[in-house]
Amino acid sequence: MNTQDKTTQASDKSLEVLRQFAETYAKRTDTYFCVDPGVTAVVIEGLAKHKDDLGAPLCPCRHYEDKEAEAAAAYWNCPCVPMRERKECHCMLFLTPDNDFAGEQQDISFDDIRGFTNHS
Amino acid sequence: MSAAAQVTDSTFDQEVLQSEVPVLVDFWAPWCGPCRMVAPVVDEIAAQFEGKVKVVKVNTDDNPSIASKYAIRSIPTLMIFKGGQRVDMVVGAVPKTTLSNTLEKYL
Repeated sequence: MNTQDKTTQASDKSLEVLRQFAETYAKRTDTYFCVDPGVTAVVIEGLAKHKDDLGAPLCPCRHYEDKEAEAAAAYWNCPCVPMRERKECHCMLFLTPDNDFAGEQQDISFDDIRGFTNHS
Repeated sequence: MSAAAQVTDSTFDQEVLQSEVPVLVDFWAPWCGPCRMVAPVVDEIAAQFEGKVKVVKVNTDDNPSIASKYAIRSIPTLMIFKGGQRVDMVVGAVPKTTLSNTLEKYL
């Protein structure tokens, strides 16, 4: 049985780096976090986990044949090319204000993130 | 976690391809935010179509063979299988109506 129970979290250090990146990048691009902060928390944890494992914050909302090769290719490293070019984030981390799921927040605390991902 | 059963690389053939009813497969990953949003929708679909459609989930991190076989890229990806064949696919966190309308075509 595969469940989320055995999924490990990122290091505190990487989580804080990616948390600060997400806040700064949202403000710089006039995008907002999801109305469901659990979505934001899970994605930031996933980015930080990839930074720990691969050295780069590879998008956690895609499946890759070879994660190391994808991280080296950089196309899907956050902020990915579709986000930088067209503000398209299918992970729903950075949402434009016209998106139905966009909330009003551009900030999320470390404890809030772990509040969600401790139970994922 | 949801009510829908988890299927693995080793059980996919039996649970999905050999199913006598259409199967909705939710390909998800642990740190995928939109997967959190689609999970309750998938559970509602499982209840709504109980007896007519089987609903299962595949963790793509733990089951790379199946994810690769069906060329999963963006997650979540929802696929519909009927008679051992993939017949349709919906990508991303979609509303329940989109999913139920898609499923209705294969009943």
